[in-house]
Amino acid sequence: MATLKINDLHVEVEGKKILKGVTVSISEGETVALLGPNGHGKSTLLNVIMGHPRYKITSGSMYLDDVDITHMTTDERARAGLFLALQNPAEVTGVINSDFLRAAVNATSEEKISTYKFYKMLDGATKELKMPFDLATRSLNEGFSGGEKKRNEILQLLLLKPKIAMLDEIDSGLDVDAIQIVADVIKKEEENGRGFLVISHYARLFDLIKPTRAVVMINGRIVLDGDTSLIKRIDQNGYEFIKTELRIEIEKENADMNTVSIGSCAVKESIKK
Amino acid sequence: MEKVIVNSDLYFDCLNKDPNLSFSVVSGKEVFLFLKDINNVNSIDIDVRNDSILRLSIFSKNPIDLLKITANVAKNSKIICYFADFSVEKNHLEASINLNDEDAKCEWHLASLSSQKDDKNISVSIYHNSPRTFGKIDNYGVCKDHSKLVFSGVSHILKGCHQSASHQNAKIVVFDDNCLAIAKPILRIDENDIEASHAAVVGKVSDEHIFYLTSRGLSVDEAKLLITLGYLKPILKGFDQSVSNEIDSVIERRL
Repeated sequence: MATLKINDLHVEVEGKKILKGVTVSISEGETVALLGPNGHGKSTLLNVIMGHPRYKITSGSMYLDDVDITHMTTDERARAGLFLALQNPAEVTGVINSDFLRAAVNATSEEKISTYKFYKMLDGATKELKMPFDLATRSLNEGFSGGEKKRNEILQLLLLKPKIAMLDEIDSGLDVDAIQIVADVIKKEEENGRGFLVISHYARLFDLIKPTRAVVMINGRIVLDGDTSLIKRIDQNGYEFIKTELRIEIEKENADMNTVSIGSCAVKESIKK
Repeated sequence: MEKVIVNSDLYFDCLNKDPNLSFSVVSGKEVFLFLKDINNVNSIDIDVRNDSILRLSIFSKNPIDLLKITANVAKNSKIICYFADFSVEKNHLEASINLNDEDAKCEWHLASLSSQKDDKNISVSIYHNSPRTFGKIDNYGVCKDHSKLVFSGVSHILKGCHQSASHQNAKIVVFDDNCLAIAKPILRIDENDIEASHAAVVGKVSDEHIFYLTSRGLSVDEAKLLITLGYLKPILKGFDQSVSNEIDSVIERRL
């Protein structure tokens, strides 16, 4: 069984410390809810695990299947079995979605698949997500609605079959029906043995996907790692109990972060120049 | 200069022909005109008469000193142009589309690959001379090595040409520090009741795009190639299969 192990990870971006000793693990077949206030490093952690070149790891390590991935390139991590569904997937003009998907499937498979087999896979996956097939023939995410972009991320997950998938606010931009469809896919894929690390600010998604564990990130660290009752507690009462019970002072988002809107990465926005 | 009457699809080889060409699309027709070997042509004049549609496709792979294209589009007619510019060394192109009567339309698509020491200056202008006219210019380029690529042109809506719309889009992806890429789409608007937009993007392949594609297992080089092809390959839809295959092989070879 594959396990992703993050050990005492410290990360900075442009000299600013964002992650200050993250330790957490996710195994295949489990779904972990990653909770925490805005601007405390949740999206940063997911991007760092995927190898975003903007973030600098200053100490700590990451292992997948006992293989050290700390210094692997992004594509090597993807081929090792990691996947990140982005909060705001880029629109890439001119790159046809199906060309990209096929290149990605071939890059992560041991052998190249035939055109027939690929389109059969694509047809099956788009039907499962109730996506119009014509989205596959358009430029990657260009002109897609928010919901279509998110479904397209899950489409990639279905085609690439990673060991561990990270979902960064996959439910933002989805209507109620679409959240149900995406949640059904996540549940099915969990049963197929995939591991999930999921960020969401809404209990609705967690009600549907029923995580096996919940972890809470405050001030760039995982301060709680426990059962899913944490989700309900935070949904109802917020993060105040962290202060009183754990005696951890929750750092305020800096001034720039207050301008960040829902659906964007607070850390990334705050360091924009 | 002899005027060629176009009343059905025409594949026109410009080799050893008059360097000043003239075409006239007859009224009420929808036709395809493919021009081949245009490197010795100095000027192309096109009349698109009432109620007709011209799909003009031009593929260039040799040097062009100076080529002037002038099109006059009449009432309720449309010209759709696909220009695949894979000229080597130089291409100095000046295209002027005149939308002379009501409901005249123009869609212009150009893809240009500029590499080595190529010097390319591409100017495309649309003149809205009547009300309810529509113009759209999409110029996409890839600029490499020590080459120079300039996209310019004017979308001009004259006074009185109300309910017209004009849109320009110029994008160049830059590969090397030593190349020069300029995009300057200009709007000149003399009427209030219109729609107009212009956009220019010049820059290296976006780091976020590279991250996105590599996060799906593609190497950085594969990701860059796929993104770059995305600037050039959409032009293929303006050509039939055999020409499209030829352009495709030129792209693959030169990238």
